[in-house]
Order: sequence, then C-alpha cells, then structure tokens
Amino acid sequence: MPRTLGTRARQAWTIAKIELRRAFFARRSLWVYALALLPAAIFFGHGLDAKLRRDRLARRGVISAALMDSVREGDTPDEVMARLGQPVGDDTYTRSKRVRQRAATAGATTHVIEPAVEARFVRLNVTRPSYSGEPVARIYEFEVYGPGGNVNLALRRPATGSQPCSPDQGPEKAVNGSVNGGEADRWCANGYPLFLQVDLGAARPVTRFVLKHASAGGEKEDSDTRDFNIQLSTDGKTFTTVASSNGAGFVDQRTEYRDLSYFDGQREADLRFVDGKLQRANRQRVLDFEEDRAIFAGIFQYFYVRLAVFFGCLGIFMNLFRAEMSNRTLHFWLLAPARREVLLAGKYAAGLIASSAIFGGGTLLALAAMLWPHDAVEVQAYWNAGGMSQVFWYAAVAAFGCVGYGSVFLAVGLYFRNPIVPAAVLLAWEGVNGVLPQALQRMSILYYLQSLCPVPAPIPGDAPALIRVLAAPAAPASGPAAMVGIMLLTAFVLWIAALAVQRMQISYGAET
Amino acid sequence: MIGSASAEGGGQASGRANARRPPAIVFEDVSKFYGEVLGVNRVTLDIPPGITSLVGPNGAGKTTLMNLMTGLIFPDHGRILMRGISPRDPEALMRITGYATQYDTAPRWATGFTFITTGLLLFGYGRSEAETRAWTALERVSLTEAATRKVASYSKGMRQRVRLAQAIAHDPDLLVLDEPLNGLDPLVRAETIEIFRSLAAQGKHVIISSHVLQEVDLISDQVVLIANGRIVAEGKIRDVRDEIQEHPSQYIVRCRDRNASGVAAQLFRESHITEIKLHDDRLGMLVSTRDREQFARALGQIALDGHRIESVVPADENVDALYEYLIGGES
Repeated sequence: MPRTLGTRARQAWTIAKIELRRAFFARRSLWVYALALLPAAIFFGHGLDAKLRRDRLARRGVISAALMDSVREGDTPDEVMARLGQPVGDDTYTRSKRVRQRAATAGATTHVIEPAVEARFVRLNVTRPSYSGEPVARIYEFEVYGPGGNVNLALRRPATGSQPCSPDQGPEKAVNGSVNGGEADRWCANGYPLFLQVDLGAARPVTRFVLKHASAGGEKEDSDTRDFNIQLSTDGKTFTTVASSNGAGFVDQRTEYRDLSYFDGQREADLRFVDGKLQRANRQRVLDFEEDRAIFAGIFQYFYVRLAVFFGCLGIFMNLFRAEMSNRTLHFWLLAPARREVLLAGKYAAGLIASSAIFGGGTLLALAAMLWPHDAVEVQAYWNAGGMSQVFWYAAVAAFGCVGYGSVFLAVGLYFRNPIVPAAVLLAWEGVNGVLPQALQRMSILYYLQSLCPVPAPIPGDAPALIRVLAAPAAPASGPAAMVGIMLLTAFVLWIAALAVQRMQISYGAET
Repeated sequence: MIGSASAEGGGQASGRANARRPPAIVFEDVSKFYGEVLGVNRVTLDIPPGITSLVGPNGAGKTTLMNLMTGLIFPDHGRILMRGISPRDPEALMRITGYATQYDTAPRWATGFTFITTGLLLFGYGRSEAETRAWTALERVSLTEAATRKVASYSKGMRQRVRLAQAIAHDPDLLVLDEPLNGLDPLVRAETIEIFRSLAAQGKHVIISSHVLQEVDLISDQVVLIANGRIVAEGKIRDVRDEIQEHPSQYIVRCRDRNASGVAAQLFRESHITEIKLHDDRLGMLVSTRDREQFARALGQIALDGHRIESVVPADENVDALYEYLIGGES
C-alpha cells in the first residue's frame, strides 16, 4: 500500500469505525448519556406539567382576557367575583403575628398604690429582664414618691442590688437622678435573683413608683424590663408585694388573606386580597414561550456547554487511550501498520462522532422537548423568525464543544494518568474565562462557544456578585472568527497530543 | 558477553548486509532502561531468518527485546533494524511483522473471527479479503470450531492460538511470539511448531521466547541466551551448549596467610586450570577453570596440605547461574 495522504486517511477512518463502538458504548462512560439527556428530560417534564395544568384550569372555567385585565387595586373579592364570575381557585387564610404594643411613655412605667403605705425599704424584683430574652436587667432610674409629693424619695439614697454587669453600672446609678449618661448611667445586672433595693432612711408613706427602662436611656425597646414586682418593708426583712407588671404589651396582629385565581385560556391571574382589598394581581402565562426560550439559553450555556459537554468529553475521550493502557490492550493499535498520528486521528474521529452525536442529539431533543407543549402558531412564528437557524447553531455549538473539549481530553489522557486534577484545573480555567484578559480568553474553548451561541445567556438581576462574575460571557468574537479560532486551538492541542503519542511506549507496569 | 555474531553471519559485525545476504534482525549496542531499572544492556545481535529462541529466566529481558523489535518501546541507546526497517516506522515494519504478546487485546464483544478480521482491516484489506485471511489463519491454528465464540470465553491454550492466528493472518515475514508454547497441550504444541518450521522454511524470521531451554532447543535454528538484560550466548544451539559447558568458570580464591603464590603454584599443576591472576595483596587470586568438579577436588587437596583458604566465590555469577538453571538438570 503506497504511503499517501489518501491511504492514511482511509486507515484513520478504518480505525475510527472500529473505535466507534468503544466511543459510544464504553461501559464506564454510560453516564455520559445521562448528562446529555438531562435538559431534554427537564424540558419534557416542564412541558408535561404545564400542559396538564392548563387543561385542569380550563376545565374549571375560562374568562375573557379583557375581564381579567379589568381588576384594579382596591377591589373587594365580592366585586371581582360579581364581575368575573366563579374563580378557578379560591383560598382564604389568616396570618397572625405577635407584635409589641408601643408604649407612649418613652421607656418609663408608673405604678401607683392606693392608699399609701408606710415603708422604709423599697425593693424591685426583676423576673423577666427583657423582651428580647436577654437575661440582663437594665434600670436607668427608680423613683419613689409620697402622697401628693413631687419629691423623689429615692434620689441619692443608699441602694443595693444584684451583682452589676460592670463596676460602673452599680445600683447607685438607678437613684442618681439622671438617665442621659449612656450605659454608665444605668443599673445593669445579670446575676439572679435580680433585684434593686433602696433605703429611704426612715419609714415614709409611699404611693407612686416610676421606672425608667432601657429605652429611656436610649437603648433598644426590646431590652426594656418585661416582668417585675415592687415590694415594701419597714424593717428590711419582711417584704410585701404592692405592685407588679407582667410586661404585657403584646397583641396578635391578624391579617386576612384571600387568593382568587382566574384563567383566560393562556394566562393565569393570581389575585391577592389583603383585609378585603385587592393588593396584587399577578397575571402569568401558564406556558410562556419567551420565558422557556430564555431558560433554554441559560441551561444550554451554564449547564450544557460548561458542564455536560465538558465532562461528557472527559468520559469519552479520556477512555480512548487511557482505558486501553489500563486494560493492557493498547498495543493492538501500535502493532498495526499505521503511523501513530493516524491512530490518534482515527481515535479522535471516533470520539468526535460519538460525542457530537450524543450531545448534538441531546441538544436537539432538549429543543424539541422545549417547543413541544407550545402553541403551534407561536412555534410557527418562531420558525419564521429564524428559529431554524437558532436550532442549527445550538446543535453546532454542542458539536464544536466536542471538537474542542475532545481534543483537550484526548491530550490529557495521553499525558496524565488521573483525570481529576487536570479536569479541575481546566474547569477552573474555563470558568474564569469571562474575567481574563482578552489574549488569554482566546486560549479557552468556552470563549469561542459563547461567541457562537445564538442567544446570549440570561443573567438574573438578583444573582450574587460572584456568580455574575463567573457567568459573565467573554467578549464575543464574530461567528466565522470563532469557528476558525476553535479549529486552530483544536489543531494546536492535537499537535501536542501527537507529540505524546509518538513518544508513547507500552508500559503496563512491571514488565521486563 | 560471550557470543558475538552468529555462525552464519560470519565475520560481519555490521547490520549493513550485502546484496546476497538474507535480511537480518540487527541490534547494535542497544540499551533500554526503565527508570533506574535496567531492561536490557548493550545488546548486539544479528539474527538471520529461521527459528530463533530467546531463552532466559523470567525477568531476564526477553519481552523487552521483543517490544524493542516491534517498536512498542524505543531504545535509550543503540540502533535496531528489522530486515532493514527501523521499528520507529510502524507503517512499514508492522506490515511485515506479526507480534503475539502475552496480553489479550480482544474486546469483550469480539469473537475469534471478528477479532482477527478487525485487525486485518487495519492492513487495508477489504472486508471479504480480511475475512478469507482470518478464516485461513484460524484454520492454520485449528481454531475454526471456536471461531464464532467470544474470545472472552476461550481457554488459555485457545487464547494462545488466537493470538498466534492474529499474528500470522497477514502473512508476515517477521513473526515475534512471546512464550507461544506456554499452556499448549502436546498435540497443539506439535502443530504450532510445525507452523513455525514451515514459516522458517520460507525464509522468514520466527522469534519465540521461552524460559525453558529444553522446550525450544530441538526446534530452534538459533538460540539467544539472556540473563539480567545481557546476552549471554548466541548462535546455533549446539554451539551455545558447548560454549556454556566449555566456558571457563572463574572463581576468586582468598587465602588466610600470605601464601597465595604457593596455592597458585599447586593449582597450576592441575590440567583444567586455564589461568590464574594473583592480586597485589598476595592474599587473593582469580582462577579460571574448565572443570568445576575437578577444581573443587583440587581445592580440597590443597586444604589438606595445610594451606588455609578463607573463601571461594564464583566471579561470574550470571553465567554460572544460567548454566545451572538451563542445563543443570542434564549434567
């Protein structure tokens, strides 16, 4: 057989045909099919769900689009039902939450006892020190008044109490006549039992107590004292409780909700009434063609090209040489009357045919599943507006992805025993592609694939900053330039692979 | 190294053959290292057509030599020409070469027939011709009955034969077979040897390896003895046998007192001693003898005469070990 390009090409094709079986059906690479078919399965499931939902809604009643658009904010449910008729969905529910009743006393509480009681010792016992649950009592001022008097009997009297939070926040700060000195102007204690006791010097009639809590000193209202009582004594030993507060201040705030749904054949309107008034009308298509196409673009770019094709090519192309080395069958090919480059070309062709068929086919299936449930008129309009070219380019991008990633993983399989580290490095390299300088962007497959995608991938406006950076598409190249670029990059990678395959020697481990 | 060139090769040391000379397998000073480990060391060979056996213990380097011949590995040093073709050119070499390794290469779904046919497609044969040749090759190794069964279900001997069939299917001039007789029953072995003989009679190279000399010495035209990656002897089987038997054994003899020259003088009276080299320290000497047993007897006599001999160590363990290994059973 003469040594011409033609015979070598035929030889490569023979090798490719033999290898196709391994490329398509390698037992350890069957998971590739799961990756390739996942988007089709997702869209089929979505389509089936939407279709069933539409049928279910239609059975319950269809109203005209104009009626559906006539609802206005502030309408009551009865008005709406009188106009639009029976809804397809009606759901009433109440939400209640406990809210604290605001006191208008700026953090101070007053406790009056009638008639006045003779006492020398006044004691404040704190049982629940805060609304927030924090076990710390904070009192900025504790005032005691006699009948008809405006003189604070407790002012600068000797005060004792539980262990203070810090030395400068002792009991004396609660009887110093001021609340404006910040934390150093309060009595703060966290050692149970929590109490504060003032010695009035001599037994006097007392009738009114004023407590200034945390918010009176500028702290959060949640830190105000919740449950406490006041006791009196003449001898400092026997105390009688004269006043108590259980904090109260909490009420249930109830809100009535009612959700009515209507269906106009295409859209489902969710009307939310809050306390009998329409607050929000959400009209959404059960099957939104625009939205589904955008979702397809997102899945295709973020999942299919970046992950499915990437790992699929890893599974298919790494196997071509590496698996034969571990199976000790590689010498079958090296003993054929063929140049090593021809062997490389043949194996690459086999992998390329298999991966393009699997992932190109997976793309077409996913597109078919995406289009299937939609209205024939809309789909027809899509075809007329260049849909066919979009479908073609989606499949082409998947195939070009196989061209590029295939060559990369063929080379990786020749240089590395374990694919995990190089695959991780490559994935990271492709992942940060969008933020690299222009010159380096050209060294990644994804750059060209993104340039060829027919629809730019949507980035949700509320995505976290890191995701936005990673998902940022590279500066696009023109279509033909991208195709030439990916071909050049592939040729370069295959050349590197050829260097390895020329040097390759059979070494199945300990061999002599 | 003992053997230099085969008897047929005459004085020609170079692989550059003249027009009349049949094509040969030529190794010129070939070394191959596996990292630190030596594969083969400074091998020079000139193998004419016919059946040539590579014989040596396991791990001696037989498979390494065969892999070098077929370009599965490349030498770190030296030059190889297979019938004038470099193993670096598989496109040309493998067209005339068939190599049956010790490893199965058939994929799990392949039958013996489809496996050999597939291999032949790589030679550029059309499908019908490939199938005809595959069938012919299976007939030659008497495997037609099992041809449509999967290779995975074959017995060891059948796998051995399907590898042979694959190696001869494209009618190569150069057949390299790694342990081809291993695992064959006597009848099949005789048939297989017949195939080797008929190929050799057509002027082809048949290289087979074995770790048992008796297994191949009757059928081989040449034998290459290998130990530890070196060629120990090469040539016609009778020559190799004589060479090994007549090859002087060398021993290092060390005496306790400084009377090595006295011991040497006494040894020299023995007819089987060919050479004695005294060390400078006058304690030791290198003795070459043609007859181990007589040498041992002579040493006993010397000890009885009052000379104190500290140690006797064989100087050339390779040859000695190989001799014991290969021929020990017969002598």
